[in-house]
Amino acid sequence: MKKANRILTVLMFIFLYIPMIVLVVASFNTGKDITNFEGFTLNRYVELFQDKHLLNLLRNSIIVSVLSTAIATTFGTVAAVGINGLSPKLRKTVMTLTNIPMTNPDIVTGVSLSLLFVFVGSRLLGQRDSLTFWTLLIAHITFNLPYVILNVMPKLKQMDSSLTDAAMDLGCTPLQAFFKVTLHEIMPGIVSGAIMAFTMSLDDFVISYFVSGLDFVTLPVEIYSYTKKPIQPKVYAMFTLLFGLIFVLMLTMNLLQIRSDRAKGARRAKVDSKTMRTVKRAVAGIAAACLLLGVGYLFVAPHAQEQITLNVYNWGQYIADGSDGSMEVIAEFERRYPNIKVNYSTYDSNEIMYSKLANGGITVDVIIPSDYMIARLIEEDMLLELDYDNIPNYQYIDESFRNTAYDPENKYSVPYTWGTVGILYNTKYVDEADVTGWELLWNVEYAGKILMFGNSRDAFGIAQYLLGYDVNTTDKAELQACAEKLAQQKPILQQYVMDEIFATMQNEEAWIAPYYAGDCLTMMEANENLAFYLPENQGFNLFIDAMCIPSCAKEKEAAETFINFLCDPEIAGANMDWISYSTPLSAAKEYMDPETVSDPISYPSDEILANGSSYAFLPEDISRYVESLFMEVRNG
Amino acid sequence: MSKELIRLRDLTMEFDGERILDGINLYFNDHEFLTLLGPSGCGKTTTLRIIGGFLTPTSGTVTFDGKVINDVPPYQRQINTVFQRYALFPHLDVYDNIAFGLKVAKLPKDEIDRRVHEMLEIVSLKGYENRRIDNLSGGQQQRVAIARALVNQPKVLLLDEPLAALDLRLRKDMQNELKRIQQATGITFIYVTHDQEEALSMSDTVVVMDKGRIQQIGRPEDIYNEPKNAFVADFIGESNILDGTMLSDYKVRFFGRNFDCVDKGFAPNEPVDVVIRPEDIDIVPPLEGHLVGTVTSVTFKGLNYDIIVDFRGFKWLIQTTDFHGVGTTIGIRLNPEDIHIMHKSEYSGMFGDYSSYSAEYDELTEDAGDEEE
Repeated sequence: MKKANRILTVLMFIFLYIPMIVLVVASFNTGKDITNFEGFTLNRYVELFQDKHLLNLLRNSIIVSVLSTAIATTFGTVAAVGINGLSPKLRKTVMTLTNIPMTNPDIVTGVSLSLLFVFVGSRLLGQRDSLTFWTLLIAHITFNLPYVILNVMPKLKQMDSSLTDAAMDLGCTPLQAFFKVTLHEIMPGIVSGAIMAFTMSLDDFVISYFVSGLDFVTLPVEIYSYTKKPIQPKVYAMFTLLFGLIFVLMLTMNLLQIRSDRAKGARRAKVDSKTMRTVKRAVAGIAAACLLLGVGYLFVAPHAQEQITLNVYNWGQYIADGSDGSMEVIAEFERRYPNIKVNYSTYDSNEIMYSKLANGGITVDVIIPSDYMIARLIEEDMLLELDYDNIPNYQYIDESFRNTAYDPENKYSVPYTWGTVGILYNTKYVDEADVTGWELLWNVEYAGKILMFGNSRDAFGIAQYLLGYDVNTTDKAELQACAEKLAQQKPILQQYVMDEIFATMQNEEAWIAPYYAGDCLTMMEANENLAFYLPENQGFNLFIDAMCIPSCAKEKEAAETFINFLCDPEIAGANMDWISYSTPLSAAKEYMDPETVSDPISYPSDEILANGSSYAFLPEDISRYVESLFMEVRNG
Repeated sequence: MSKELIRLRDLTMEFDGERILDGINLYFNDHEFLTLLGPSGCGKTTTLRIIGGFLTPTSGTVTFDGKVINDVPPYQRQINTVFQRYALFPHLDVYDNIAFGLKVAKLPKDEIDRRVHEMLEIVSLKGYENRRIDNLSGGQQQRVAIARALVNQPKVLLLDEPLAALDLRLRKDMQNELKRIQQATGITFIYVTHDQEEALSMSDTVVVMDKGRIQQIGRPEDIYNEPKNAFVADFIGESNILDGTMLSDYKVRFFGRNFDCVDKGFAPNEPVDVVIRPEDIDIVPPLEGHLVGTVTSVTFKGLNYDIIVDFRGFKWLIQTTDFHGVGTTIGIRLNPEDIHIMHKSEYSGMFGDYSSYSAEYDELTEDAGDEEE
């Protein structure tokens, strides 16, 4: 029995800690692949400390966590004392009410807070940027409060109520009694409440996502949008540091507790209380210092910005950031235009970017949506017309990327990247003779080794090319046929994926998958058995992501300067080398890796390109219909 | 004669419509050791908390040194309290617990030091200054609680069942200790307990309470010997209480017989309660007795036997040093001074019948008392 217990305990610990260990190991790996430990290196940590953007995000996260924890702990403790003083019946009601926000799904809390902030900010206070650092802080305080109350209440209930009576009996006013006696008694509850609040705050994504503006973004929100490339190993390094920090903190606290318990037993009371006091003071000192730093930053930061702040909202990992010896594009821009400070934040899909803009309450000066989303934004009057006098480098944009379907008059957008969607396959397992077109994805010989797009638009697109329909069809019968085609494919699929494709294909767990050409190149670099095929005869998706200025922009001229900067052939070349998508500027190619430029995957011939087609914006009811068909396919 | 210090006038207290105190009128003299005695729920602790300032009475006044102090908060009263479970501050050591009140009052450090050490001597805890509270025994904690209160030199010390948590032996020692401290300091002690023995042995004055009302006030001997009603007679020691009729002064009739007694001043033929203490009854051979009964149960109590004797269906408790086995027929004699006559009261008929007597009787009442508040 005892033995079984021990085994179960060990298993439980393995279960709990294995993910952490994998992360820690990955952070020291020379290679980028998690599955393959190539050698020990500390370079990831060096990279981490060179990445100003990432450190900035980390600092933001810590500022919000520390401030919200401090405020929520103070308020929560005071509230708990108040609630404890209520009559039992009322107390129960109030406790239920304070607990509801905790049981509420985060997404509900997030959306409702965001609505509130935008309503109060925009309608009542007439501010354009109603989602700011302050709303983020308020939201964190809001969801932290219940945790503090929940931890402090039991300590208050446990406390002998005659202790406060005794303090008052000995001359304390009620306030003095609280500080001299009650506070000491409930301190363990306050500390555990604060720790809980801090960790909840540090790793909150859902609520933060909805209530933060673009000028102050926390780490989880940013990491979530890292979908254009696999997560970089320096992020593992940061997570390892975070995990280590919290681990050491908890361990120290527990050790101190054990020591003080032991000291109690050994009746070394005086010594013990002295060390405890020193430790308490040290902890209080550190907390106070963090608090001061946080507050200080808030007051100093706005003054430091005599410059223009330009809010750029882009896909995650969609601009060269200095890693792998690339150019740090934003830093370069800021160096050239010292009066402009770029505030860079990211999203992970067109739809998320759209909803963030449509919700309002934020200022964004530059966005880089995809073609069909641009059409939608134009239709909904959410973009500003560009002043091309401020974008002289537009001259370098290739003719074939002008007068596109989504922006026929070249009024709203400047192309940033483009690419094709084709099939990535593993030459080790897939017979070249089978690589004939989209039907490869339906080939039963490779059952269980095929991946498929997890988003409806791309999945239906493939079915449409295969069946010979228009990719922008609004004919429900045709769409129904596509759905049936996709349903046929489902039994032989390994899974529907988006980002997971990187690991699965590189590890050769799957052999065939449709994906974006740029990403396929990244994967092919990692695994030389991978190859790319473009079904040029059946047709394929040709997508363009272009830079636009949304109607909520404040710094239009600076935004145009930024767009112009990115169209500088030299910059575009350096940038594109890192992103590994294709550039619409032929002039940039001479600054790029010649191998990439001559690669027919990145730059197919014009004849081939002519067979590609772009997604247009579908009417609301059709896109919903497609979405529901796709859900049926996936679940059915 | 010492002067009056505190007076409670027509004090009533209600919680949620329930009357806890019902017209308490009471005064406390300077330097007095006064005990509020009663079963749980009688209102004694409520009275104490009102004096301490932790509760505000629903109506009535509390005067201290001639001034009404109903609205004076506890921290401004010259009164200190020793709480039921001591309420020592666990995060402070013995020294800091005792010094707490003095530090709040911002006394100079050397004076605090002098007074704390003086106090440690009085409660015999020298050398315990730096002990943590949870490393002290119950008795030691008790002394710290007393020292913490007394060091502030209050005019009045309130003690809320301070010995309830101690074992019997320690309780006896602490009773003597408390009495000694009270005499040494001359501070007025207001002591709350449900333990009649404790009340009788320590107090100058005992106030017996029940149902939010004062039943009797008096010196311990008077309370014991001259209980005012069946409740007091039963609560203070054991009593056999019988229905009787006062025929005239010094003549009472019960159990179908006339007895001589020492009481007078009742209306002719007034129905009365007759109290006979179990230890006052003399056992004699059946033929010589005023009454004859049969022993139905015997309990050995150490100093004596408690025997239950059936007199024509009515059972008495008799305490005797001689053994009388179950089934023995015995006679009893009652001397006039053993018979105490009381007016009828709301408590008549509720106490003093040992028909349902069992050995656990004492323990049961004691447990109930411990649970108060």
